Amino acid sequence: MADGASGSAERSVQVKLVLLGEAAVGKSSVVLRFVSNEFQANKEPTIGAAFLTQKCRLEDRVLRYEIWDTAGQERFHSLAPMYYRNAQAAVVVYDVTKASSLEKAKTWVKELQRQANPNIVIALAGNKVDLVQPSSTPAVASAAPESEDEADDATATPGEAPASGEVESLRQVPREEAEAYAQEAGLLFFETSAKTGEGVVELFTEIAKKIPIDQILASTRGGAGRPGAAGARAGAQEGGVNLEENAAKGKDSCNC
Amino acid sequence: MSTISTHLRNFKEPTKEQQTHLFFALPPEKPIGEKDVELEKMECQASLVLSGEEVFAGKLHLLPPYLAFCSLDRKSARFTIPLSTIRRVERLNARAGVYALSLSLYHGMKFVIHITSLRPTADLFCSLLRDALKVELQRGRMKLVKSFVKTCYSEVLVASTENEEKEAEAAKTDDNSSSSESSYLGGLGLKFKFPGDPKKLREASKTKLWTTYLKVHGRNLTLFRYAQCTRLVQVGLPNRIRGEMWETLSGSLYLRYENPGYYERILKENEGRTNTATEEIEKDLHRSLPEYSAYQSEEGIASLRRVLQAYSFKNPETGYCQAMNILAAAILIYMSEEQAFWLLEVICDRLLPGYYSPSMHGTLLDQRVFEALVHRCLPILYDHFQHVDVQLSVASLPWFLSLFINSMPMVFAFRIIDCFFCMGPRVLFQVGLAILKINGEDLLDIQDDGGFIQLMREYFSKLGESAHPESSDPRARAITRFQELLLVSFREFAVISDDTIVSERRKYRSEIVNSIESFSKRSAIRNLKTLARFTKEQAGLIYDALFKAICVIPPPATAFPTPALLTTKDGGEERPETRIGLRTFKVFLSEICTWARDEKVVTNGVSSRIERDVADHELVDRLFFFWDTSFRGALSLQDLVNGLDGVMFNDLMENIEWFFNLHDKNKDGYLTKDEVLTLSESLLFIFRYEVGDAYLGAVSRFMSNAFEYGDALLPRPDDAEPNDDSTPPHIESNQPYMNLATFRMVVLADEILESFFETDFNSTFKLEPVPLDLPSSNPSVLGSLWSNIATDDNKKFFNIVTDQIGRTIGKHQIYHRPAIGKITSLEEPKARESLLTPTMRHSTSQASLDNKASESSTNLATASVSTSSSLLTVDTPIPKSKISPAEYSPMPSMLQAAANAAAYMERTPFAIDDAKDGDEDTDDESGVEDDGVMDEVDAFLEEHDTGLTDADRELAKDLINAEPV
Ligand SMILES: Nc1nc2c(ncn2[C@@H]2O[C@H](COP(=O)(O)OP(=O)(O)O)[C@@H](O)[C@H]2O)c(=O)[nH]1
Ligand SMILES: [Mg+2]
Repeated sequence: MADGASGSAERSVQVKLVLLGEAAVGKSSVVLRFVSNEFQANKEPTIGAAFLTQKCRLEDRVLRYEIWDTAGQERFHSLAPMYYRNAQAAVVVYDVTKASSLEKAKTWVKELQRQANPNIVIALAGNKVDLVQPSSTPAVASAAPESEDEADDATATPGEAPASGEVESLRQVPREEAEAYAQEAGLLFFETSAKTGEGVVELFTEIAKKIPIDQILASTRGGAGRPGAAGARAGAQEGGVNLEENAAKGKDSCNC
Repeated sequence: MSTISTHLRNFKEPTKEQQTHLFFALPPEKPIGEKDVELEKMECQASLVLSGEEVFAGKLHLLPPYLAFCSLDRKSARFTIPLSTIRRVERLNARAGVYALSLSLYHGMKFVIHITSLRPTADLFCSLLRDALKVELQRGRMKLVKSFVKTCYSEVLVASTENEEKEAEAAKTDDNSSSSESSYLGGLGLKFKFPGDPKKLREASKTKLWTTYLKVHGRNLTLFRYAQCTRLVQVGLPNRIRGEMWETLSGSLYLRYENPGYYERILKENEGRTNTATEEIEKDLHRSLPEYSAYQSEEGIASLRRVLQAYSFKNPETGYCQAMNILAAAILIYMSEEQAFWLLEVICDRLLPGYYSPSMHGTLLDQRVFEALVHRCLPILYDHFQHVDVQLSVASLPWFLSLFINSMPMVFAFRIIDCFFCMGPRVLFQVGLAILKINGEDLLDIQDDGGFIQLMREYFSKLGESAHPESSDPRARAITRFQELLLVSFREFAVISDDTIVSERRKYRSEIVNSIESFSKRSAIRNLKTLARFTKEQAGLIYDALFKAICVIPPPATAFPTPALLTTKDGGEERPETRIGLRTFKVFLSEICTWARDEKVVTNGVSSRIERDVADHELVDRLFFFWDTSFRGALSLQDLVNGLDGVMFNDLMENIEWFFNLHDKNKDGYLTKDEVLTLSESLLFIFRYEVGDAYLGAVSRFMSNAFEYGDALLPRPDDAEPNDDSTPPHIESNQPYMNLATFRMVVLADEILESFFETDFNSTFKLEPVPLDLPSSNPSVLGSLWSNIATDDNKKFFNIVTDQIGRTIGKHQIYHRPAIGKITSLEEPKARESLLTPTMRHSTSQASLDNKASESSTNLATASVSTSSSLLTVDTPIPKSKISPAEYSPMPSMLQAAANAAAYMERTPFAIDDAKDGDEDTDDESGVEDDGVMDEVDAFLEEHDTGLTDADRELAKDLINAEPV
């Protein structure tokens, strides 16, 4: 663990990823599933952001994810730029059983697209999909991710119709709606369940595929620190918790 | 997100008196008026004399209902005791020249104070003390002490040793020793065990030391704090007394003492209530120190829930913020719910102000301060962080926000918290700096935020290990890394004092406020569903105007339903959004729209300034409701953007339509006769400050044409012959009367109105930077003097003075800025050729006007006839050259001009709502009330300007130079 950052950069590519989304949509759970492949109800609380790392193998390369799992409460919003600055990837999570969480997700996407690293890869994840699936399918789903579309479709298996009809009613965000939005906004899209593990690994793998690894490698070797370091400096000169936009457009509000 | 908060602007640095209050950890003072009696405060020089001949020179403060003392060095000796614990005060008639008081306290302690101030001061102090004590006695506070101290564990502790001593005598056991044993308050730790190994923590010996201290130097309400107290705290409080000592050291004890039963009451009063805060609390209950056994049981969770809810009920603005759950969970291990409730109050309100507020400005501010301190104390490390672009806050934010509980093993965090309550917030900074310093070398190797976090995590996990494992000296080996941390904190960073923190916070506050405000501005704009046709910058200007309006007239918080009520059926709750009411809207509109404000340009020869007032007219109200498309009685930023979009980008036809719709209340596509009149009035309002009578003529013609065409184009019930000379059908004033097409025709019949709707109307809406401070005037004569006049009050005063000077030198002028200001000279109105045949015009209009006049109670016809008789003695039109801005007063001239216009057309003018005109008239007068008399004098002086002697001028100049200082 104590290998120097520069040393590890030679062997694996370091990717900074930030998780954003309304409180209790399951950000921390998704990360925990990805990092330790487990699901726990009671976890450590998130103050500001939790920091975790996980390696991810991709063909011949190894990615080392540096994951920043942010606190979801609204008032922590203004602290978020501290965590998403220089991020190469972001996962914006919503809860498929809560329509308003998608609205919040959309505002995060907007903010990232305006204020974060311009090349950031953004994925939209509709979590807790286990809650809207017939009780027998999760095992199938996690074994064969391709079947998830069918699992979503409650009428596909008539034998299960009553039970699945019931759980399906919990769904407040239709897959198609979120998917259409994701497409329009240029986001990767997944439905996930931290509980069953469905979609979680796929989520992180697909992000990994989209990251311009060679670019990162080049810039890491080039300068001190990571890509974006020099650019962000301008805004962060005085440091502190930097709320300013990338280019720190500055003090347009006045005193009174 | 879409809530706009201006409360950051209301921050005021604490006064000296408030600082004293804070230092002695006193409960916030009740607002004047809520106090039963107003008791005087006083301080005097005094020395605390101990029996061992030890003397501490310092200051004695009478802060009813408390008596407080602090030694000059601020740390050797201090106390804060409620007056109700004082049982006896005696004046010692000792040696001459010494003014000595002997005081006995509830716990049996006796101490002597020498008042070293001058004799009269000492006498006064004593008499005030006597009065204050009397009041406490009358309030029955003295009697409450006994039952209150029973809730404190220290009593049990001290009683137990006393009992031990007395055991030999085996007699006279105080019956309350057994009863108090059962009634003291304690935390979950009593049942679920305290974290850490009691042996390792050396609980027994620490408890013994504290027992002795508390016995000798007082406890709970009567604790005297000497240097030894601080030292004992630094080695760690024993678990059982910890909760009470936190209360005592932080001063939350006094809150609990002063508010018996409050905690139970607030829970009861709000039982079953749910809101955003309670929902958020629910989400976090199971993630608050989940590793501690009490929080795996319903009992612990329920306690935590109650404390957090009670806090949110008491402080609805702060409500609940993540991290408070951790604090509450932590302190509940050591203290009861009620104690925890008050301690939480002190933490959030006094020790960490603004940390948990919706904007979290206190957190951001202290992060900024911490960074500045790192820059100053650890410059090499700071430079490295800058170089590799590492943000200090990614690690330090949780340190401050959750008092290290979330960052290091609990046993260690609690020891830092012991110091925090004893020595104040500076401890967090000192420990933070020490952490960085100790890890300095390793930190110079880190390359990014992640590396920083990881290094810190590793360090915290090894705090229990030896700091010098390789040392040959066993004593050095025994020092843990945690002990090393505290040593470095308090030795090497002793320079960080309370004052340092206060002054650093002051330094960075406005920077933080600015960045928070511009951040919320950006998010507010980003989160608009649509910018409509505005650019982001223009939307920003709309936001600024809104922000300013909210600063001036904050929207009433109660006007909005609680978030719980907004929850819709599908479970999706609406985001709280700032919406403004009519009053705030008026200010908003006055920022953007020229006719929505009254602007007076005042020139007094010394300076020239613009005095801006918010105009009040039915048109503004109408606009408010017109834009309130969701019928909430309040407008959001989005509503304002949409509304402005609907009016600012219009061409001629669209403007006409817009104006028509604005006045078509029931949206049936027709204006009633009343609405036509209201519309005319709206126009008059917009034109009220235009120079000359051209616009008034236009409105006048508009009205006559409107009724002419309106009547002419009315559908005849029987036959469809338009040129019929018979009288038009009778139409009630509230019946559909005129459609858009007719209205358009009437408007286009007039050149002035046409150009108004084509360009002028749009230009009355201007998105300009909103100065949030006073507009900086250009100092013509005064030069740098302006910069010395800092406060509003000073500026007002200055303006009054210079106005007076202006009057004496005859340079004082006031004129109203017109909303359009296009016509600068007085011209005669040009009427366009009527579209109707003369015959038509004659019969129809007359009929319409006649029945109109009979319907309304007052009408312009009578009004202007009467005014014309008095005003029109001056020949029409108004003399052009003679009009001096100083005399210019719009309303009379407006009426006059309307009358003139009426005269030109040789017809009876139309009824308009007279009461309104009267209102505005008086409004206007009251607005210039003070100036009214002076203006006459001004005018006189102006006439006789030449008569002003050089001496007079000299005098005026002297005044200019002398007065404002
Ligand atoms: N059924 C189900 N519950 C989940 C899932 N993910 C998270 N949760 C639950 O949702 C709650 C909030 O999860 P958490 O990860 O703390 O959310 P965060 O605030 O976004 O980090 C917890 O009670 C989790 O157990 C999921 O995929 N399925
Ligand atoms: Mg979380």
